[in-house]
Amino acid sequence: MTQAVMDKETFCTRIIGCQEAMFRTARAILRSDEDAEDAVQEAICTAFERRDSLRDAEKFKPWVLRILANKCYDVCRRRQSTVDLDAVGELPAPETDHVQRLSLWQAVLSLSGELRAPVTLFYYDGLSIREISRVLGISEAAVKTRLFRGRTRLRELLNEK
Amino acid sequence: MDQFDEMMRERAKNEPFPLPEDYAGRVFAVCTALEEPKTKKRKRPAARWTAWAAAAMALFIAVPNLSPTAAAAMAEIPVLGAVVRVVTFRAYTYDDGYHSAEVTVPELAGGQAAQEVNSREQEYTDRLMAQFRETCEAELGQEGYYGLDVTDTVVTDSDTWFTLRVDTVETRADSGQTSRFYHIDKATDRVMTLKDLFLEDTDYVDVLSGEVRRQMEEQSGEDDTKAYFPEEFTAIDPEQNFYFDRDGALVLVFDQYTIAPGYMGMPEFTIPAEVYADLLK
Repeated sequence: MTQAVMDKETFCTRIIGCQEAMFRTARAILRSDEDAEDAVQEAICTAFERRDSLRDAEKFKPWVLRILANKCYDVCRRRQSTVDLDAVGELPAPETDHVQRLSLWQAVLSLSGELRAPVTLFYYDGLSIREISRVLGISEAAVKTRLFRGRTRLRELLNEK
Repeated sequence: MDQFDEMMRERAKNEPFPLPEDYAGRVFAVCTALEEPKTKKRKRPAARWTAWAAAAMALFIAVPNLSPTAAAAMAEIPVLGAVVRVVTFRAYTYDDGYHSAEVTVPELAGGQAAQEVNSREQEYTDRLMAQFRETCEAELGQEGYYGLDVTDTVVTDSDTWFTLRVDTVETRADSGQTSRFYHIDKATDRVMTLKDLFLEDTDYVDVLSGEVRRQMEEQSGEDDTKAYFPEEFTAIDPEQNFYFDRDGALVLVFDQYTIAPGYMGMPEFTIPAEVYADLLK
């Protein structure tokens, strides 16, 4: 069935509905709020230009997250020639006192780079393994492996059994 | 999904998420400022588009850049050994505003091996074009985009060796790139693959795979922005894509998405000669 191109008002409404997921995904791939916001902004513009390629309006969220992930990868590529001390390896979990519990997001941010995005999309956005694979451009097997490793590390960080 | 997953999803839903201050306001401002692209794709009523596309489909063109006579004459120049060269291009073009194809098919002359490469390349591009036509026909009246670009490059043309690289890029919401390499040993007039470089019964696949794995780990360890799928990489293909760079070093090439995320493009690994020198013919 032919899918009409989404009008601007509908597009903006859908974007606003996804804005938190977009920031979270970008922030999981990139290591600063500023870069994440820039990537979100670029992704919104690109998605609007290419909205005729959206075949199924029900898949808007994974579709726009995929465009966003590619924007984030572009930022990573541009940075390959620079040293980003904040982006090296797994970050130490933030210190909390014995009473204060580590938030889930704090724990996610302390995971290593390759684990953060799959874990975020799985727990926060409820995406399936296949959808995560398509959003991040990695195989389903790789998503499963990374979720397994992310889950193991989260158990340790959050002291959950 | 186990109990832990459910607990995490519950926490994700209930714990407040720390968005930057006024992030929502900035998203709203970006949305408000969106304008229709100036180079917007042509829009036509579906029925008219269908008729137009059907007519255009019949106009796939093949344009040689040299006459067949000239090509034949060049191929018949008497030589010692094979002088392999690209003598003809066939360019297939198509664009209906939603689907576009730019396919360049090189034709080689200079010997039996050149003819074999021509035959393989023709078969490959014919298959791609057939698939492209099928997609166009299946999507008549729809507004999705599909692009097919096939280009070629002569990577090596020395006294003894000729390598032609053919790159294929297919674009939908995202793009995927694959490559094919054709090698000709001019001295023997044979089409060569990676396997043909090494002595029989040698473990070149294991040796080269080990070096690729080592470089994957080294690069991932040194640079957080580089990522591979080491858990999925078991071994190279016995006829893995390769070429020799300007220094004569062996470079193994992997298609996009096969051993790394899409953003890594087509990973290449330069293999030091000392790794495989003892295995060469």
